[in-house]
Amino acid sequence: MSHLLDRLNFLQSKELEQFSDGHGQVTRESRDWEETYRNRWRHDKVVRSTHGVNCTGSCSWKIYVKSGIVTWETQQTDYPRTRPDLPNHEPRGCARGASYSWYLYSANRVKTPLVRGRMLKVWRRMRKTMSPVEAWTAIQSDPILRASYVETRGKGGFVRASWDEATELVAAANAYTAKTYGPDRVIGFSPIPAMSMVSYAAGSRYLSLLGGVCMSFYDWYCDLPPASPMTWGEQTDVPESADWYNAGYLLLWGSNVPQTRTPDAHFYTEARYRGAKSAVICPDYSEAAKFGDVWLNAKQGTDAALAMAFGHVILREFHLDRQSEYFSDYCRKYSDFPMLVRLEEKDGRLVPGRFLRADDLTGKLGEKNNPEWKTIALDRKTGEMVAPNGSVGYRWGEAGKWNLEERAGAEDADLQMSLVLEEDHDDVVGVDFPYFGADATENFSTGDTRPNVLTKNVPVKKVKVGRKTEMVATVFDLFCANYGLDRGLGGEWAARDYAEDIPGTPAWAEKITGVDAGKIIHVAREFAQNAEKTRGKSMIIIGAAMNHWYHMDMNYRGVINMLVMCGCVGQSGGGWAHYVGQEKLRPQTGWLPLAFALDWGRPPRHMNSTSMWYAHTDQWRYETLTADEILSPTAPEGDWDISLIDYNIRAERMGWLPSAPQLKTNPLEVAKAAKAAGKEIPAYVAEQLKSGELEMSCEDPDAPENWPRNLFVWRSNLLGSSGKGHEYFLKHLLGTEHGVLGRDLGEEGKQLPREAKWHEEAPRGKLDLLVTIDFRMSTTAVYSDIVLPTASWYEKNDLNTSDMHPFIHPLQAAVDPAYESKSDWEIFKAIAKKFQEVAPEVLGKETDIVALPILHDTPAEIAQDQVKDWKKGECDLIPGKTAPNYIAVERDYLALYDRFVALGPLMDKIGNGGKGISWNTEHEVEALRALNGVWEDGPAKGCAKIVTDIDASEVVLMLAPETNGEVAVKAWEALSKITGREHAHLALPKEDEKIRFRDIAAQPRKIISSPTWSGLESEKVCYNAGYTNVHELIPWRTLTGRQQLYQDHLWMRAFGEGFMSYRPPVDLKTITKEVQDDGDSLVLNFITPHQKWGIHSTYSDNLLMLTLNRGGPVIWISENDAKKAGIVDNDWVELYNVNGALTARAVVSQRMRDGTTFMYHAQEKIVNTPGSEKTGKRGGIHNSVTRAILKPTHMIGGYAQQSYGFNYYGTVGANRDEFVVVRKMRKVDWLDREASSKEAAE
Amino acid sequence: MDRTFKALSLILSYPTTELQAAMPEISGVLAADARLTAAARRALRPLLDDLRDKDIYDLEESYVLLFDRSRTLSLNLFEHVHGESRARGGAMVDLIETYRAGGFEPASSELPDHLPMLLEFLATQPAADAHEILADAAHILAALGERLARRQSAYAPVFSALLQIAGASADSGAVAELLAEPEDDPNDLAALDEVWEESEVLFGPDPNAGCPQVREMLGRMDEPVKPTPGVAAE
Repeated sequence: MSHLLDRLNFLQSKELEQFSDGHGQVTRESRDWEETYRNRWRHDKVVRSTHGVNCTGSCSWKIYVKSGIVTWETQQTDYPRTRPDLPNHEPRGCARGASYSWYLYSANRVKTPLVRGRMLKVWRRMRKTMSPVEAWTAIQSDPILRASYVETRGKGGFVRASWDEATELVAAANAYTAKTYGPDRVIGFSPIPAMSMVSYAAGSRYLSLLGGVCMSFYDWYCDLPPASPMTWGEQTDVPESADWYNAGYLLLWGSNVPQTRTPDAHFYTEARYRGAKSAVICPDYSEAAKFGDVWLNAKQGTDAALAMAFGHVILREFHLDRQSEYFSDYCRKYSDFPMLVRLEEKDGRLVPGRFLRADDLTGKLGEKNNPEWKTIALDRKTGEMVAPNGSVGYRWGEAGKWNLEERAGAEDADLQMSLVLEEDHDDVVGVDFPYFGADATENFSTGDTRPNVLTKNVPVKKVKVGRKTEMVATVFDLFCANYGLDRGLGGEWAARDYAEDIPGTPAWAEKITGVDAGKIIHVAREFAQNAEKTRGKSMIIIGAAMNHWYHMDMNYRGVINMLVMCGCVGQSGGGWAHYVGQEKLRPQTGWLPLAFALDWGRPPRHMNSTSMWYAHTDQWRYETLTADEILSPTAPEGDWDISLIDYNIRAERMGWLPSAPQLKTNPLEVAKAAKAAGKEIPAYVAEQLKSGELEMSCEDPDAPENWPRNLFVWRSNLLGSSGKGHEYFLKHLLGTEHGVLGRDLGEEGKQLPREAKWHEEAPRGKLDLLVTIDFRMSTTAVYSDIVLPTASWYEKNDLNTSDMHPFIHPLQAAVDPAYESKSDWEIFKAIAKKFQEVAPEVLGKETDIVALPILHDTPAEIAQDQVKDWKKGECDLIPGKTAPNYIAVERDYLALYDRFVALGPLMDKIGNGGKGISWNTEHEVEALRALNGVWEDGPAKGCAKIVTDIDASEVVLMLAPETNGEVAVKAWEALSKITGREHAHLALPKEDEKIRFRDIAAQPRKIISSPTWSGLESEKVCYNAGYTNVHELIPWRTLTGRQQLYQDHLWMRAFGEGFMSYRPPVDLKTITKEVQDDGDSLVLNFITPHQKWGIHSTYSDNLLMLTLNRGGPVIWISENDAKKAGIVDNDWVELYNVNGALTARAVVSQRMRDGTTFMYHAQEKIVNTPGSEKTGKRGGIHNSVTRAILKPTHMIGGYAQQSYGFNYYGTVGANRDEFVVVRKMRKVDWLDREASSKEAAE
Repeated sequence: MDRTFKALSLILSYPTTELQAAMPEISGVLAADARLTAAARRALRPLLDDLRDKDIYDLEESYVLLFDRSRTLSLNLFEHVHGESRARGGAMVDLIETYRAGGFEPASSELPDHLPMLLEFLATQPAADAHEILADAAHILAALGERLARRQSAYAPVFSALLQIAGASADSGAVAELLAEPEDDPNDLAALDEVWEESEVLFGPDPNAGCPQVREMLGRMDEPVKPTPGVAAE
């Protein structure tokens, strides 16, 4: 209503009564029209929540509710204030979050449990006469029945089911699978727990109680930078965004802050107002590029060459020609620069080998405990060799010397970084370094014809190792040689001048990257100058873009080297800011017991997804990359010419990487057999593996016994967003229609893997059951057998933290879950309850055997200082030492639900801890009993209840040092025992602080400093990684205990990555003569950055976001490339290679660099995607043209920081080296004819 | 109670075996309603027969495909007028208030704008009120009917029947506007392109006229957002 009739347009009443000094006035006419506006904003209540799976912004929002309906949301502005001279955090939020309430009631929402109709029909028929497990058994035993629903995946045909029926079906399938094949054939995938940790924990707790497998995500997403654990022994630890403000120089490298870090971008703006200088490096003219004082448009995939040239300049000007006192002091104390490296002889030539260790020296320098894990340096004052404190050998088996004090045991030690002075070295010798720059494929070639080995002069000392005299050099001297710097030692490949075209110089990098050498020198110099003057306040904000290349470690290590050389890591306003994917789950040690049911049994089953999907979507059968293409010319002797999957199998066998499934035989049966044989489980398994009676599943991924059988996907769109090799997933794991265009190794007649068993016929449809839990009908849901509707972000209670800010805040149920949906916690609780009802038919109390790889941050991490494969007879099979450990875990399948909803007894008995320290937590468990209530009888008698999602949140908050000051003090004290230094002062002021769920509902709370993380949260500094390493002298969790820039593991050296260098993108050979159609000539590098109009695939089906971005899938190409293929803006185009094909509209833009195409990931296949001419199927998603490729160096294990950790280390799903053919579509076919009207997604 | 509204509410609900069993009775109610022309009653018969005779799984699959999975056929009426716009929450609140004023409280897991819920409510209301409310939604009902007819769905006549009872002819302009939304129709490519097309940037003589795209975008933001074209997945 306009109320036009009531409102005065031309007149103003004269009877005005004024009040409040004329600021208020009384009027006489009707004011009903104001109601319109009041009603527009009326609400019953405001509830705090956030958006919580893959949006890592972690912004707190106000949700307005009227009559049980969410009406709108606004940004919360009540974050605790910062301190003077630091901007506050708010406003936080972006267009995506602001449109969420409209998305909540979208027609794309899943309303009720959905089951594939054909499956449900058979199920109900069977259930008339059979028990649930019998019914599922009957379906699985009949190949025709099984195929009837497997082959229709993705083709519609859903019917509604009741919760009771759907959960019963799921539970029966799980019970059957555990009984028939083993519980490790039930797997679950869910990412980024930090953003809604209880929802993640719901599924992982169920799986862990069952013995199922939780799959990693961070490595699979390729957001895990393996360079971080390699260098720091840490998954990823970064400064909060507020610390950008403290920087004096901000380098944005492949990161598009204004586009992908919207809520944090204001700190970048404020830092520039404050006077910080900023350089932006990215190949395209991105949103961030315009904010740089300088923009370096390096060719995509060549970042390592740029980093090397930066490093070259920094070394020359701040370490060699002039020594910055701050830099050398920092590097001597906090990096491995002073450590000595043995030069190994191969064919009369010298190559950098292993670190010299106490064990190599006569008398071992008196070190009895772990001498093979204590690295050696020279003392400047005495000239003697010492084993400085802090190396990993000091961490385990002794106390008090694992610290970064300048000491070696009782003695002071002042370490020497270089032997370059005449009086310091015994000789100057030529040392071989691999050079990969000449290996570039045609798309990256610069016409480089240099040899692949460069011999450079290095000053050395002679040392007696055993009976031999060997030569050793410091890491720093080798490092400088590697960067191509002339130090007056003569020899080749050493540059005096930046203009010389020698690997490492700016002139050399200019040729590769296309960036002007002058700009390189300028930026490097300013970056270092600022760091020197501010003691480390130069920061690099780095985007995942650089980490998605096959040789990502070179890019990242190049960047890290710069930061370490300039003393930036661990300094406020400085360091390495990689904000991708993992997002800090701050109360981690409180969450782990809940999430992985550590309160009932340990260890849980964890699996690295990249290796798993590579094996079980059979992408390995199509591998185009051979090991010798990536092997170093300086590799030590060895049988390196095996396939990539063979490397993975060896890694699993030696206990480096986890396995899933684990053994070909059901572990429940193996445990029974061991018992019958009267043997201890580890010994029994070892004996059977050696004899070949037992086989590891990894050796034969295509044997039906080894298939994953049941897959849960929750909080994720695995197939629509992150499934590299999408078409292979469809073909082999799901067994439905697919768009794979290439042929496998067998069909191609290529060399087959040696360790992996080859089946002529590849399996199709390994999964018996795919269950997706989502609130919207995503691409993954479309392909599932069962879709369960989950509560969305305003409909459940949960916890949320981020690495972008230091607060913990909640998701809350502003309204009840819409339609029939339930929260993830309630869904898995319901499945657990059903499981407990149906399982007793086939399962009872069982002993399970869990294969555990050698884990980082445990005493086992120093298991293998030499690489030895038991299967090749190089050593004995010792579980937990030369192979996975085999650990008995008692399962009570009769009480799975009872355990799910109770905090189990192991917290009292064993305690809690993480990252190598542990503490007693009885007091907290007691407090939880008082808070949540106690089970009075049943299998969990006496245990604290965890019935609701709020109960679960309280468990996390109570047990974690970050949210319970008393625990923080205990944790720091536990660490003090190992370091021999007092740390509790960091938490003592907050000892009485206990953060409860209702506290964070009232206001976001700042977390408490804990040893789980390397930064502090105080009134003086912003959170920044490495801060406690530098300021509390806590070692990095690496072999040397320092930031380790040299990697000496055998496989690192074999693959040429002891030191960082430039490695051109690999040749994936995916555009073959067979696949490329005549006349299609435009071939582009395929890049998939993050978008502005969605958070991965979420919001990419939301009309508002679609409206802002052309309304469907698009790719970006440059004007020149478009012209070549006759494409104009908005044309429909098709992209293809042997992996598959996709269709999209073209955005033709000057922003793009020639030779590349961008496709923002992840645009839903179900939205406005026409058919592909190439495959005859509906056009694929961005991952239809990709395939995952493993890298052997990511498989290394049992070697200090290079030991496995879940989401922490392991193979990563690289996808940037891919090329595609781009062509204009002749005719757009929407594939919507009668026959396929039901085909939702193919 | 107006048993015809109730009957229509039932046949637009998710098919169950209980519904199948009750179909003779439901068909009887509809056959006897004089507000419907003989032709309208005849047109309903295939659906009524299908619901009675067809395999329940086929009925269910077809229902999920049409009404749960196809955005352009959603039975949530506000999907078609408000889509994912901020007005939707408020509109639903108003509808709840209407139910309350009529003496009822929504008691199912469906949202208040679910058509079968509305029809059940109308069944309890005085005929004049019911017809008025229904007439308000006439353009949505007409558009849904038309889209179903294009798919040759047996559900289409239900919507013609509703319009007949309401005694309202839908505003043809409003219907046309809804129908202009290209659904998942292979031949609607041109329409789809049109929806997403942006105006050309012209650097005209008036430097203060502003950017035409921004002007247009602001103009669009003033209007309620329409459902996503073509999102229906099938």
